[in-house]
This record gives sequence, structure tokens and C-alpha cells, in this order.
Amino acid sequence: MTLLSGNAPGAAQSDFRPKLAWATVMVFAAFLALFGKLFYLQIFRGDEYRARAEENYLKEVRIPADRGLILDRNHRVLVDQRPSFDVTLTANYCGKQCEEVIGRLASILSMTPEEHEAAVVRLNDARARQNARFKPFVVRVDVRREEVDVIEALVEDLPGVDILPAPHRDYRFAGLGGHLIGYMNEVGPKELEALNQELKRAGSEQGAYSLGEYVGRRGLEKKFERTLRGVDGVHFVPVDSKGRARDVAGFGQEEKPLVPSRPGQNLVLSIDWRLQEFAEKTFPATAGVVLAMDAKTGFLLALVDRPAPDPNKMSGRITAAELKAIHDDPLQPELFRAIQQHYHPGSTYKAVTAVAALEEGIFKPGTTVWCPGSYSMGKHRWRCDLESGHGPVDFEHALGASCDVFFYAAGAQLGADALAKWSRALGLGQLTGFDIAGEVPGVIPDVAWHDARVPGGYQKGMAVNLAIGQGDVNVTPMQQVVLYGALATGTLWRPQVALRVEDAEGRVVREFTPEAKGRLQLQQGTRDAVLKGLLAAVNQPYGTGWWSRLQETTMAGKTGTAQVVKLGARRLKAADVTYFERDHAWFAAFAPAEDPEIVVVVLNEHSGFGASNAAPTASALVKKYLELKAADAAASAAGGVANGP
Amino acid sequence: MALDLSLSSSAQRGPFAHFPGHIAWFVVSICAIGVWNLASASRNAGAPDSTPVWKLQLLFMAVFAVVALGVALFDYRNYQRFAWILYAIVLLLLLYVAFKGKRVMGARRWIGLGPFNLQPSELAKLAVTVALARWLHDDSERRKERYGLLGLAVPLAIILVPAAIVKFQPDLGTALIVAGTGFTMLLFAPVRWRTIAILGAVAVIGATAGYPHLKPYQKKRIETFINPEGDVRGAGYHATQSMIAVGAGEGTGKGWGQGTQNNMRFLPEQHTDFVFSVWAEEHGFLGCAVLLALYLALIASAIDVAANARDVFGHYAAIGVAGMLFWQAFINVGMVIGLLPVVGVTLPLMSYGGSSVMTIFIALGLLANISMRRFVN
Repeated sequence: MTLLSGNAPGAAQSDFRPKLAWATVMVFAAFLALFGKLFYLQIFRGDEYRARAEENYLKEVRIPADRGLILDRNHRVLVDQRPSFDVTLTANYCGKQCEEVIGRLASILSMTPEEHEAAVVRLNDARARQNARFKPFVVRVDVRREEVDVIEALVEDLPGVDILPAPHRDYRFAGLGGHLIGYMNEVGPKELEALNQELKRAGSEQGAYSLGEYVGRRGLEKKFERTLRGVDGVHFVPVDSKGRARDVAGFGQEEKPLVPSRPGQNLVLSIDWRLQEFAEKTFPATAGVVLAMDAKTGFLLALVDRPAPDPNKMSGRITAAELKAIHDDPLQPELFRAIQQHYHPGSTYKAVTAVAALEEGIFKPGTTVWCPGSYSMGKHRWRCDLESGHGPVDFEHALGASCDVFFYAAGAQLGADALAKWSRALGLGQLTGFDIAGEVPGVIPDVAWHDARVPGGYQKGMAVNLAIGQGDVNVTPMQQVVLYGALATGTLWRPQVALRVEDAEGRVVREFTPEAKGRLQLQQGTRDAVLKGLLAAVNQPYGTGWWSRLQETTMAGKTGTAQVVKLGARRLKAADVTYFERDHAWFAAFAPAEDPEIVVVVLNEHSGFGASNAAPTASALVKKYLELKAADAAASAAGGVANGP
Repeated sequence: MALDLSLSSSAQRGPFAHFPGHIAWFVVSICAIGVWNLASASRNAGAPDSTPVWKLQLLFMAVFAVVALGVALFDYRNYQRFAWILYAIVLLLLLYVAFKGKRVMGARRWIGLGPFNLQPSELAKLAVTVALARWLHDDSERRKERYGLLGLAVPLAIILVPAAIVKFQPDLGTALIVAGTGFTMLLFAPVRWRTIAILGAVAVIGATAGYPHLKPYQKKRIETFINPEGDVRGAGYHATQSMIAVGAGEGTGKGWGQGTQNNMRFLPEQHTDFVFSVWAEEHGFLGCAVLLALYLALIASAIDVAANARDVFGHYAAIGVAGMLFWQAFINVGMVIGLLPVVGVTLPLMSYGGSSVMTIFIALGLLANISMRRFVN
């Protein structure tokens, strides 16, 4: 510096010089401090600040993966996605105005007070955690097009609000098959961690679940959650300090490229939706179950379970009042009746008693019992279905006409233990292994069971009641289909509904194979006698199912009427008692009898007699099954010709 | 001299014969950087069809460069003679503004002059410099002993009256620069060490006692400065975002127009008080080093002018200019990089603003004037 050059002609005071030197030193020192801090920020911690700058302006936007489809056996789409929009808010970008913004959204979307409150809770949650500030959370799923338009018009007043295209589940047939298919809803904060840990344990490449995401809740949606769920993609949108996307050339894409989403895998069911729809239409019940199973594989062809909530509603669009109405409904729409409800099997159980009596050697295939209209043991007297009496009945007639006295006699001699033994051999009293939802095992009461539970312990007369499917014997409709499948083919199948898993291009990823739980080892005479009886029930004029007989095929089956309340001395007509006091109507059948292909079980709750309220549905279903089979064969033959040389 | 202006080419040595060309080069360099940087900082500011601020800034610089040459043309002893009048005019303008000024964002700082809003507080920096230099010059001819407290009564009044008015506009930043400039000049006067110690103690006590009387936002800034990450989304937002921008520049910066903190409007006041963070983000440590080196060279040159001034007035006036430049550069950059609390101080020739450009150029004209006449008697 020329400071010390000395040629200062006019410099007034020599006092200045040392002070100027000091001043120069101080200025240099001050600038050195600036350099030091700059070096610290830019060189020492530069990487960190660059990352923070990126985090600032590159907003991470999830590209939701399409969830896998659920298809029927003919690839008919049962569940898919439909385009829809979610409204989200990012806490970081609305800052102190977040509450106001939620208030505005509440009025635009006419949110309920609970919904409004839920959004505020999520906001506070996002604020509480540093890394959640930048993550958009859902304020309302699936908004209507006109609401999207309003929000887009008011975007300047709604900082931090985004409208995210989010494919939503479309359950095309609403409540049909609702229990089977299940539904999805939002993942809760508590289960989030458990879900993600499970995901990590399984080594899945799927991204972690985030708050607000949907997860399979019931039925197949839950059971096959990880199969159906895709791998979300992500892209980074340059945003300004208010979180609004700003198109500035050259920003964003180079630093963090888009990662495309990958769709989930498709689930192909064994259900034939044509049969399902037909069953839904034909089945007159308010509440009840229709099951159709492939007798040769154990795969289900139709599963009607009524009533069922609409999965489209249950997937996050239900109001608290509607949910309460479902909870309070005496018909219990949330109950998956096919596997979660106990019923007395009624007369359909007579097939089990018949097998037990023959196998235990109590009765011979040619045994005849005289039916006077009632059966007595000690002081007790049990009434037959036909009060005038059937006269002499053998197996064929007893099963066909559903004579109670024949089976009372058998039960009295068998006792509860022998009945229990053969019930279990036929798959009752245990889980069927249909694991789409929690299953109840049913109740097969043996002597020990009665001793433990009934005041006074087991009495011989109890077996008389059990023999016709009353007393304490309880089964599920799914167990019935396994039981009649075993009677038809000798194989105890594990009922299944998922046939295949395919990737998005339709390539088979995984195939499910039939699973036999066991073979029924019966004497030839036993099988013949029981089959004859089941054939008589449908095909003899005295048979209880005579009016449901089919021309096209020989159907074997058994009607049942399960008492719900103890009746007085006189039987009442169904119309004369209230709904919940009426009997349940059963029909279990298979066809064709000579080489069974399909097993059908119908349970019509509180409808009265099995013959009139369950059997017609079953026979219509079998008929439809045969028609469809013939049509498919014709179509494939025609296809073969068309594709031929 | 590097910059050969036409006036010095005549046969007789003209008034610009000893023009300090190196200072001119430093100034032109900073101006060039400033305009270029503004062009990036203001890319997303203002209405699309309005004149971009960098063009306005360029216009201000051109106009006031001519004014500065005009200031340099007449011997500075003329300004010395009119120092009191200048000081009085500025004081009146300050008072006028305090009561009748244009109110922008809660502060009365401006006098509307057509398209140009004059900020008299900027002129106060010059007025204090010139008046204080005049008083110290006059006093140095009669005074024999060093200044005690009593002796400093007048110069303290010269500094504090305009500083106080500016403070209550409110414009704490400019008040600090006015006072800082004045006190820097006083440090060069023959003041007793004891008096300096007393004044220093008073300042410390005053600051401590005055803290509760600061505006809430000012208190917040100081708290934020002490713990910038304490409230990242609230009061610390500006400080934090500015530091992120600076740090993100790393060694060589993201390149002109590529700063995301700048472009995505994460920076506060990005073409005025925080303009340095734009420069730092886009040109990195290297760019900052170049710019700071230019300021350092300019300030050192001003000190050099003071050292070689022909008389006491010239000496003090040059010190005033050096102090003004130093405090503004140091406080502004210090604030932007988190070394100092956030306070509204512009960065000379980098921040956008006509009043700021005007003040700096007039001050530089005065500096050149003193330098040019160092040999004149």
C-alpha cells in the first residue's frame, strides 16, 4: 500500500499515520473474518448446504403405482383402478397459514367437522417431525372433478395445496363378492411401523408405507396386499418457496431423475363371474351364502355372501354415520358368513349320521326302520318331520324324505362320540383352510364337550338331537361345501379362490395348485347307500328336493332346515313368525352324481324350509354351470376351427 | 493513470491530471459485477413487461458516475465551505421525511421525486462526513490538547442528531452506518484514550439497556443470529435461507442464473439487501473472494487517499468515505453469511437502489476529488 510511501505533501497531522496503519490492519482482519466464514460455509459445509438447497426446491412427488387387478377365471376385471384426484397439503409450504388453508379447503370440499379435525391432526403430526414437513399429506381422497376445478382456480390462496392424480380402487360390482374381495383404507399411524418392518423383513423392494396411503383391509385385498401393491415411483418437481411448481429450465431433472412406478401383480380368481352374477341374481335371500366349488380341485366357482358392505364405500369414503349404521345393523353386514358364522346344519347333517351309522356297523345298507311319526327314549319323545309317520324307511327313503326317526334311532345307538368322530373325518369341527379371512371352526360336540359345558353333563338323548343336525352341532357354510365335496369325490379339499398371480403383462408369476386335506376311506356299501339317499332326495317324488330336480343332469343333494329358536308343540308357518325367529334353509348338493364336477351349498338365513328356499337356487346354479360349460366348449371348438388351417 | 479522461489531455494540466485511475477501475469492476448479478437476481422479479432492475441500476450508475465526476471537478474546499449548509439541508430533509415522507411498509424513508424516490437518510451519510470533517478541520487549528468528553459534545451531536432521526424512521441499518461512519472519523481525531474507553462503555451499557426497547422483529433477529436454526421457518427463515444459498455455492458456484435459492425465491430481498447471497450461490467461494478483494482494494485505496490528503478536511472526509464503504460492505456481507444479525444495510454498488448508488458515487467523487488535489496547495 502506498500508505507508507511517505510522499504526503499536505498530510496535516503525523498522528494519523499509525492510526491509518491500525485501521488498515483492522479492515483486513474484518475481511479475514468474512473470508473465514465464507470458507466455512462454502468449502467446509458446502455439500450439506447444497443438499439443503435441493431439498428446498425439489419437492419429492410420489408416483403412485397402479395396484394389481383382481380378475375372474376368464380374466374378467372385477377390481381395477379409476383415475381420481387426492387433495394434499404440504406443511412446509403453507407455513403459518396452514390452519387457514385447511379451513378454506373445508368449505370448498364441504368437509364434516370430524374430517376437518382429522386434517388438523395430520398437519400437527407433519409439523412435529422435521422430515415430514416436506411430505404432502392427504386432506381428502377422491375429490370430484368440479372440486378440482375450484381448487385450481383458487390456487393462489391455497399455498401448499396440491391435487395429486391418485388411482383409486374401483370395485366394479360394488357389494357383489364384497366379503371375498374386501376393501382398502388408510393406514393408521400405529400400524405404519409394523407394516414397514414386515416389509423390510420380507426384503420387499416396495417402498415404505406412508401416512395416508391405502392398505388392503379385508378379504383378498388384505390377504394379497403385497402381491397387489406395486412399487411407487418418484419424481422431483422444482418448486418456489411457496411450494408452487415453477418451470425453470434446467432445474430438477438432471440432479434427480424420475423413477417410474411399477404396477402390482394381478390376481386371477377361480371364480367364474358369470356364475357369481347369476347366483347373486337367483338367490332370493336377505342374508345368506351360496358357495359353488369345483369338485375336482376345491377351487371355488362362486361365493355369494350377503349382506356385504360396498367396498367402494368402505374404501375411505364412508361417513361416521354410515359406518355406525353398518355396525348397528342386526343383519351384521360385516360378518363373512361363509367362514365366520356358526349354523346348525339341520337335516344336511343326516348324511354324516348315515356315514357314521354304516361305518360303525350300527346299520347295514339294507337296514329298515319303522317311522310312526315320532321317536321315544325314556320320557322323551322326538317328533318326526312328517307327523303322520313315514312307515318303513331304508337309507334311500330316510335321506330322500328326510325322515327324522330313522336318524334318531341311528343317533341313539351311535352316541355323541361316534358322531363327532365321523363329523371330524368329514372336515367338520376344524378350519377348512380357506384363509382369506379369520375362520371359525364350528362346534362338534362329543361326550366330553357336553360334560364340560352342559349342566348335568352328557345325556344319551343329546345324540338323538345331534343326529338330525340340531343340538349343539354347529358348522360353517364353507365346511358344508368341503363335506359334500368329500361325499361326492372322496377327497377333502382345502377350498381356494386364488388361481394364479400374473404380472402386468399377463405372464404367470405363481400358480396355485389344488390341495387335498385328506381322502375319505369309506366302505363301498356306505358310499353307495348315502349316494342313493342323496339322489332320492332330489330325484324321487317323495324327495324333499323333488321340485328342484334337473333334466340335464343327475343332482344329488340334501335339504336342511335349521331351527333357530325352540318351537312349541305346533310348527308355525314361516310367515307367521318374525324374521329373526324363522329357520335357516339349507341345501347342499353335487352334480353330476356319477362323476361330480360341482358342489353347491346354499344357506338362506331365516327363510324357513330348505326345500323351498335354498334348493331352487342350487339347482339353477348347477344348470347354469352346465350351460356355461357347454357354451365354453362350443366357443373353444369354434375358436379351434377358426384358428385351423 | 489507467483511466485517462479527456480533461487531463489538454496541454496545461487539467483538474483530472491526478485522477485516481485505480479506484475508478475497482469501482467499474464492482459495478459490472453488480449489474450482471442483478440481471440474475431479478430474473423472476417484477412484472414481465416492466423494465428489468438491472437496466435501471445501469442507468443510475451512468447518471451518478457523471454526477461523481462533477463532484470531483470542483475543488473540495468548496464543499468544505458549504458543509454546514449541506448538513442543514439534509437535516431538514430528514425532518420533512419523518413527518411527510412516503410510507412504504410501515417506514417513512422516502421523498417521492417523480419516478425516483429519494432516501434522505442516504444523504445523511454524506452530510455527517462533510460536516464532521469541517468541524474537526476547524477545531484542529485552535485546539492544543486532546479531546475530552466535553470537547466531543459538538461532533457527537453532529453524528447523533441525524442518526437518531434515521433510527426513528425507522431505519436501523442506515442509522448504524451514519453513526459508524461518524465514529470512525472520530477515532482518527486526537481523543483521549480515557474518553474512548468511557464512550465504549457507554455504548455497551446503552446497547444492553436499549435491547428491551428494540422492536420485536429486531429482537427476533438478534435471537435468530445467536441461534439461526432455532426457528428455521419463522424469524430465522431469512438468515437460514441466505446461509443455505451461500453454502450451496461451494467452491465455484452453480453458474450465472443457476442458483435455485435465487430462482425459486427462497431468498429475501434478493436484489437489495441479500444480493450478495445470489452472487455467492452462483459464483461460489471464488466469486466471493474476487468481490471481497475488490471491496478491500477500494477501502484500502480510500485509506491511502486519507493518508495522502493535503489537509485535515481532506483527511477526515476520506476516512469518512472509507468508513462508509467498510461498514456497509462488512455489515451487509456479515449479515448475509450469518456472521452478524440481520439488519437492513445495502451492499455498495451491488444492491439495487438509486439512493444507494447516488450516495456511493457522490462519496467516491469526493474521494477522487481529495486524491486529485493531494498536491495542490
